[in-house]
Amino acid sequence: MKLMVTFDREGVQDANIANAILKSGVPVNVERAQIDGDDGWTLLDVADDKAEMFIAALRHPGVEVRIQKDAVSHNITECVDCGLCISICQKQVFSFDDSWQLQVNSERCVLCGRCATYCPQRALSLQK
Amino acid sequence: MYKSIDDINERIRDGSVRVVTAEEMPDIVDELGVSGALREVDVVTTGTFGAMCSSGAFLNFGHSEIPIRMEKMWLNGVEAYAGIAAVDCYIGATQESITKGIEYGGAHVIEDLIAGKAVELRARGKGTDCYPRQSITNEFTLADLNQAIMLNPRNSYQCYNAATNMTNRPIKTYMGYLLPGHRNITYSGAGALSPLPNDPTFSVIGSGTPIFLGGANGTVVGEGTQHSPGAGFGTLMTTGDIKEMSLEYIRAATMTGYGVTMYVGVGVPIPLLNEDIVKHTAVRDEDLVTSIVDYGTQFRDRPVVKKVTYQELKSGSVEIDGEEIKTSPLSSYKKAREVANELKARIENGSFLMASATRPINAVKKNRPMSEHGVVRRVSEMMVATFVTITGEKSVKEAATLLLKANTNHLPVIDAENRLTGIVTTFDISKAFARDEEDRSVSNIMTRNVITAVPDEPVDLAARRLLQHNIGALVVVDPAKKVLGMLNSQDLGDLVGERWHQ
Ligand code: SF4
Ligand code: SF4
Repeated sequence: MKLMVTFDREGVQDANIANAILKSGVPVNVERAQIDGDDGWTLLDVADDKAEMFIAALRHPGVEVRIQKDAVSHNITECVDCGLCISICQKQVFSFDDSWQLQVNSERCVLCGRCATYCPQRALSLQK
Repeated sequence: MYKSIDDINERIRDGSVRVVTAEEMPDIVDELGVSGALREVDVVTTGTFGAMCSSGAFLNFGHSEIPIRMEKMWLNGVEAYAGIAAVDCYIGATQESITKGIEYGGAHVIEDLIAGKAVELRARGKGTDCYPRQSITNEFTLADLNQAIMLNPRNSYQCYNAATNMTNRPIKTYMGYLLPGHRNITYSGAGALSPLPNDPTFSVIGSGTPIFLGGANGTVVGEGTQHSPGAGFGTLMTTGDIKEMSLEYIRAATMTGYGVTMYVGVGVPIPLLNEDIVKHTAVRDEDLVTSIVDYGTQFRDRPVVKKVTYQELKSGSVEIDGEEIKTSPLSSYKKAREVANELKARIENGSFLMASATRPINAVKKNRPMSEHGVVRRVSEMMVATFVTITGEKSVKEAATLLLKANTNHLPVIDAENRLTGIVTTFDISKAFARDEEDRSVSNIMTRNVITAVPDEPVDLAARRLLQHNIGALVVVDPAKKVLGMLNSQDLGDLVGERWHQ
């Protein structure tokens, strides 16, 4: 599952993610990160059954964790089911069902923003 | 066995007509045979819903008190062509707003009209004895217009190329966003459900053919612009009343980095008059071949990467060089089906009749490229062939001396075999001096990824590359990467300026 970790000024000072990995022994995949001196966020991917353990290890002042679920929101009134977003996203978030209607599997999204930028109907947006 | 249009209309009127969509037809022909299918089925409906840039509308506003001849006109800030008569205009779908750019264009004006929203009209004229007024600002809705006639010069391509990008940078095209290194493929059209593949010989589709256009019962005007059925690229010019259209079947769209376009739903009924027509409507996706072309090439004739069928494209991936590459349509198959089914329903309930074409459409014609008489200037004519180079092991100081002596800003770096390995600019050198690094070697401070040009490419392409990368010069190289010359933005600037001032 995807975890959105945000750091405030305090949280950004320590090697919180590295510490949490060492402490819990849970491997994580850093999918995206944007961190500078003052604050930042990073999107992590961790195995579903290990997530709880990892979140516990990450608990630290200035660090906030939440499970990232509906990363992309899909406006079905605007969408025309063209499917252009399918091959733009390299994370397999989009697909067609049997009736050629667009399906969105938000769980895999790494918030790169490409689909939202290039959807011709502006039917996609990101929730960070 | 033959059927006439009258026979079929008779059956539409008495409610006994049998209509199927082009998707259902191949199986019916397999089961009943061609003559059996002709006996059983009267009309096949087709449908497509895709981005059709070449679309637009004629609008008539009626005369204002104190009449004006509108010569320049903007609708919600989008310029419409007003060089027609006093109070008419043609608004093109791809025309962009002067304030909102590609987020709002002609297609959006049409969409807003169909949605019933008010649109602002601004116009000016020079003022004449019969049309004294010089400017007008007004608000109107679709209901206020005398006519709102969609007239699309080029719709419903018979077949369209699929697109990929072989270069190493992403490109933004009317075929959508194409990732570098052919990591995705986009295609358009509904394949065997599309209108023209079901009548490739134009035996029933011609001027006057009744069609479904954007929700309205419309008409084929005749061949579309760039009609090229001889190459598999026939097109239709279509028309219909916007007052009867619906947003289910007309949608404004923006291809980011390219511009505005309009999604248009077109459905053409194919009356089954004889066995030949039946055979054509039995077409399947696997019978329709198109080319995947490299949109990374900025020349007219783009190289074909691979030939594929619509079945392969629709499967979701195509193999290129042993790799499975994901495909995306940019037209909506779901909507195409809705078009074909809606048309079918209208024929079945008697609100849509067949008609013979009044004038046939040429079925073998081929499109010609522009016949250009101006000379295309090549890089080789514009480049400076007297240039200095340096090797990587020389020091920054030596590079500085060389730049000064040659009075230039760019110094290509070459290896022992005279091949280009990098470039240093006056900016790189100043930076090195500012950081007290003047004793380092050129190869330490040079840019390795040099933007180059080749001698026989048109200067316009090279000029665009300069702009895109925001740099002052391109190194002109041969295929072995040997430096042949330099192309400076200044020289190009003079050329472009000169052209516009003529
Ligand atoms: S690109 Fe946009 S309009 Fe097309 S299917 Fe995806 S979300 Fe829908
Ligand atoms: S934001 Fe990026 S990863 Fe997420 S769905 Fe869109 S394209 Fe895919």
